[in-house]
This record gives sequence, C-alpha cells and structure tokens, in this order.
Amino acid sequence: MTTASTGLGGARLRLRREPMFPLWSIAGVAAVVAILATYPLYGTEYVMNLLGMFVCFSIFALSISLIWGFAGILSLGQAIYFGMGAYFIALSLKLSYAAENPTRYGGTIPDYMEWNGLEEVPTIMAPLMHLEVAIVCLLFFPTLLAFIFGVITFKRHIYGVYCAVITLAEALILQEFIIEYQAYTGGFNGITDYETYNNMYFLWIILGVAVVLFGATRLLTHSRIGTVLKSVRDNDVRAEFNGYEVANYRIFVFCFASMMAAVAGGLYAAWMGIVSHLDTGPILSIEGVIWAAVGGRSTVIGPFVGTFLVKGAEFFLSQQLAWAWQLVMGLLFIFVVKFMPDGIIGTMGKSIANRRMRSAYAETGGAYGAETLSIADRLRAVFAGGNASFMDYLFGRDGRRG
Amino acid sequence: MGDAVLTQFFSGFSLVAILIIAALGLAVIFGVAGVINMAHGEFIMVGAYVASVVQSGLGGNTFWSIPICFVAVGLLGLVVERTVIRGLYDRPLETLLATWGVSLILIVIIKMIFGTELHYVGSPEMLQGGFPAPGNLPFPWYRLFLILLSILLLVLTFILFFRTKFGLAVRAVRRNRTMSEAMGINTARVDMLIFAYGSGLAGVAGAVLAPIKTVSPTMGFPYAVDSFMVLVMGGVGNLLGVPVGAAIIGEGETILAFLFNSVIGKLLVFLLIVLVIRIVPRGIFGYQERTLGHRR
Repeated sequence: MTTASTGLGGARLRLRREPMFPLWSIAGVAAVVAILATYPLYGTEYVMNLLGMFVCFSIFALSISLIWGFAGILSLGQAIYFGMGAYFIALSLKLSYAAENPTRYGGTIPDYMEWNGLEEVPTIMAPLMHLEVAIVCLLFFPTLLAFIFGVITFKRHIYGVYCAVITLAEALILQEFIIEYQAYTGGFNGITDYETYNNMYFLWIILGVAVVLFGATRLLTHSRIGTVLKSVRDNDVRAEFNGYEVANYRIFVFCFASMMAAVAGGLYAAWMGIVSHLDTGPILSIEGVIWAAVGGRSTVIGPFVGTFLVKGAEFFLSQQLAWAWQLVMGLLFIFVVKFMPDGIIGTMGKSIANRRMRSAYAETGGAYGAETLSIADRLRAVFAGGNASFMDYLFGRDGRRG
Repeated sequence: MGDAVLTQFFSGFSLVAILIIAALGLAVIFGVAGVINMAHGEFIMVGAYVASVVQSGLGGNTFWSIPICFVAVGLLGLVVERTVIRGLYDRPLETLLATWGVSLILIVIIKMIFGTELHYVGSPEMLQGGFPAPGNLPFPWYRLFLILLSILLLVLTFILFFRTKFGLAVRAVRRNRTMSEAMGINTARVDMLIFAYGSGLAGVAGAVLAPIKTVSPTMGFPYAVDSFMVLVMGGVGNLLGVPVGAAIIGEGETILAFLFNSVIGKLLVFLLIVLVIRIVPRGIFGYQERTLGHRR
C-alpha cells in the first residue's frame, strides 16, 4: 500500500492508493461465484438457465461499460459483436449436430438450409463444423471488424453522438442481413435445435470466463492504460496535447471490448441453444447500455449488478404484467439518466470516496478545507481513522461521471 | 435497363421527400439545441395515429391532419422537453438515452390506447391516381404532393431561421450559446421552442406518412435511424445538409435496391456514409468549428 503525499504548510495529506485486487473484492467475488456455481445442486433448472444467461449478459454489459464508462465511446451496436460470437458457435454446433443426426429428409446439413433449397453446406461455412475453428473465428473476426471500424472512425475524431448513431445503423443493417439471407443464417427464426451445453459444468466454464474477463477489465482499467483512457474520456483534446495518440487507445479498448462481447455471445449460444437476429440488433445493444448504466458504467462490478437487477426484474415483472415491462424500462432509462448518472455502484463508490477524502483531510488537522467539515464529519474521521472501508475495497472508487 | 433505372430514379424522389420531411425536425433539434432525439421516430408514429384519429373521428383528410398533427405533436414535444430534456443540455449523449426511454413509454401508451392492430389511413381523393412520367410507371399525385410539401417545409424553415427575429436568436444560440446569453437572448426558451417546432415537423411527417404506410406502434424506429443517417451524411451546419443528405441516401437506396436487393442497397449506402464521414467527419455541410474541442 503506497501513500501519496502532498505538503502545504507542513501538514501532509495522506491518500491511500487502493490495491489492484483488494482482499475484500476477492472474497466478495469468491462468495458470489460459489453461490452461482453450486446453485444447480439445490436450485431449479429454470433459475439455473436464467443465471447462466445473466452471467453471459453481464460480460456483454461489461464490454459496454468498458468502452463507454472508461473510454467515453457510446456504441449502440455492441450487440453486433455479441451476435457474431453467438452465430459462430451456434453454426458450429448446428453443423456438427446435423452431420450426426440426419434430418427428416435424410440430409446431413442443417434443417433450415434444406428448407431454403441448399444442397450442401457452403464451402466457406464448412470448416466451422469444428468447434476449434469456430472459437478461433469468434476471437478473430469480431475483433477485426472492431479494428476496421475503429480505424475508420476514431482516427478521424468521430465519436460521441456520431459514433452512437453509426453503430446503431450498423446493428440494424446486420439484423436485416441475417433475416434476408436465411439460407445461411436461419433467417427470422434463427438457429436452434442443436446440442446445447446446459449443465452445471458448463455453468462453471461460464463463471470461470466471467471471472477472468472481469479481472482482466479491472487490470486494464486500473493500469496506466486505464488512466489514459479515463483522461481521454474526460478531455480528449487535453489528452492529445499531452502527447497521447488518443485514437490508438480508443481502437485498442474497442477491439478488446468487442472480443469480450463475442466471447459472451459464444457462451450464450452454447448455453441457450437458440440464436436469432434479436441477439445482434439495436434493441439488445441498448438494453446492454441500460444494464451498464443502472449498475454503474464507470465501475467494473457495476455491469454485473445492473444486469442481474434489471434482467431479473424483467423476468419477474414480465410474468406478472407483460405490457408493463416496457413502461418500467422507459421510466428506468429516464430516471437513471436524470438522477443517477453514476449508477448504483458508482453512486455508492462516490459517497465512500468523498467520505474517505474528508477523513483524509481531517487527519491533516484541518489544513485542507477544514472549515467545510462538520463536527459529525470530524467524529467520523476519528472513528474511521482514515481507513478505507469495506465497501470502498469492494467497489472501487471510480464513481466519476463520463 | 436504362429506362427501368430512370423509373427508379423518379420513384426515388418520393423516398427523398419522405426523408427530408422526417429528418428536418431532427436536424433542427440536433443542430440548434444539440439534443439527440431518439424519440423522433415515435413522434412520427404519434403523428400518424393523430392523423388516423382525424380521419376516422373527425372525418378530415390529410390536409386537415397536417396542421392538427403539427400542433398536437409539437405540444407533446414541449411536454417532453420540459420534463425530460431540461437539465440534460450539457450532456448530449445522455439525452439520447433519456429520449430512448421516452420512445419506449410512447409505444406502450399508444399500444394501450389503440391496441396493437394496424391502422389504415386513406389519402385525399384529389391526390389519388397519377400522371404519366418518364419510364413506364405512372407517377402518383400523392408522391408529387410529398415532394412539394418537402420543398415547402424547407422554405418555411428557411424563412423562420433567416427572415425572423426568432430565427436570428436561434442562429446566434447555435453559433455561441454563452455569448447569446450574455446578449440577453433567453436560450432556454429558444431551446424549448425549437424542440417543439422540430417535434411538430415530426408530427407533419407522421400525417403524410400515414396514407402510404401501415400505422403501427413500432413504425417509427426505422424512420428515426434513416433520419439520423441523413444528418450524419448531410451535416447539421447548414439547412442544405438535409436535402442533400436525403437525396444521396434516398436515391442511392432506391436504385441500389432495384439493382441488387434492399439489404445490399442499405449496406452499400451505409458504407458510402462511412466513407463520406471518413473524409468530412461532420457531414457534407457540417459546421466547421473554430475550437479544438470536438462537439460531443
């Protein structure tokens, strides 16, 4: 634990820098993972399905939060990459399933291809039958697309609103593409009816991947690169004047996030057993944005919390009042944007950070802004002793608004 | 072949006109107030429903519903601006999300009032039929009406912006908000009225779209995305951006959809848009800012 100190009139202000993976956060993550991983032993299958799905979606929300909350790129088409990953895996599973289980008409090609008059699997798609090829494709092609997109736009200082609108259109076009070319993609109905990996062991794999990706994001955002990204988010012109090639940082983080979204999509396809055009479209993209926003876009754990809360509420509410869900979602959008732009975790982290800052000030004996401290603040500072609290360790203090 | 492409070229005019009418309100709101109104498509949808009420309830035709829709959706825009947008002006990206919430709510409300079934609105009797045009297909009168209306709306907006005192204030706010405020212009009021005006234009778009499209609660979203594309292509620095952007996108989509298919057409036009903003990042008629700070 290092201490940064600064002097004014002899008094010293001590601010502790948090460790990369504080003990409390490790314990918290371990507890959550343990609960989720053992759930199939005592829970119902229906809820297990939901939990696996939510974890996949939370990785997707994390990818949005990484580019939006930490780098200031609002993409309304992140589901493109999620969908690409999902389609690669679904196609692969479907092709190998079809090869072993002939359809009603005796063909060994996926049933939807047969319905659309294809005689055999197109040569470009045939290698996807091997899962290894599909996984390599899943890691490579979404990243490549993100790279191309990033080079075209970020290098020309196109981001913010323009980037959001273009990515939205991109998602819409991909969706129409998938519906139109149904002989290859399954069209409106999507790809389904293949061998799914829907058991406890695959849930463990999903959780393992999620832990690795959340950890990697934490590493990334709290490294030097993360600091540069945050400065780019807050003031890109100043970052550029400080000598940083802003576009390259943006391209890098966009590629990384897109690959993450693709991995989430691949896991989702294997888990759910159905992939359709809805998994690539603007609606899922924007839902992901709201999950990240509700949890806290500039936190690592926020997307996880946001996804579980919003998606869980959706499943709970839509059973009771199906029509009301959209209304709730709309109101939630407006509420979060207007009154809680930092999200749940971000708001909590911010208040903790403020308190810690105040107590650090108080430790200096009132040399810094002591006149603004109330007696209660001083007492709290004495009792807290300037130590970072449990919540602070758990959630980090990146509660800044982007 | 050349003849058929010519026919497509003429029928593309109507798509261009629709795009102009739909994108004009959005351009005004984005250009002046800097607000990304994702609910624009749903404003168009509400306009179409108002038109269907005007027809079935009051017995009026499109000529009646245009002013009624303008006022009704303009008032709706005023309410949305007062309740949701207010206080978000310095955060354009968040207006995008908040107005997305508005669009979800509008869809639910319309579904509750009118149900999910499709509504049909007829075009006025005097605009039915068509006249012979170059190529083989007759050119419908209604499409000519759309083209004339789009030109009329552009001219009216031009007059509002460049020949009235309010327009002077609008242009001043657009150029330099802080300075305009210092000169005594009530910028909050300008934002509010511009938002209402842009919403009213969306209402007009809904009124004239209702007879040629089926009216359903989810009809708006594609128009919103197309309108955004027009803005990205044309830029919002100049009123000319809207017709030029709409012309390129509308004609491009129509002709390419004829030559290949509609999805390939859309894809090619999208690639063209990306190419254009790669060269001119703020659109063809983008407002060149003299500051290094990029408009978010």
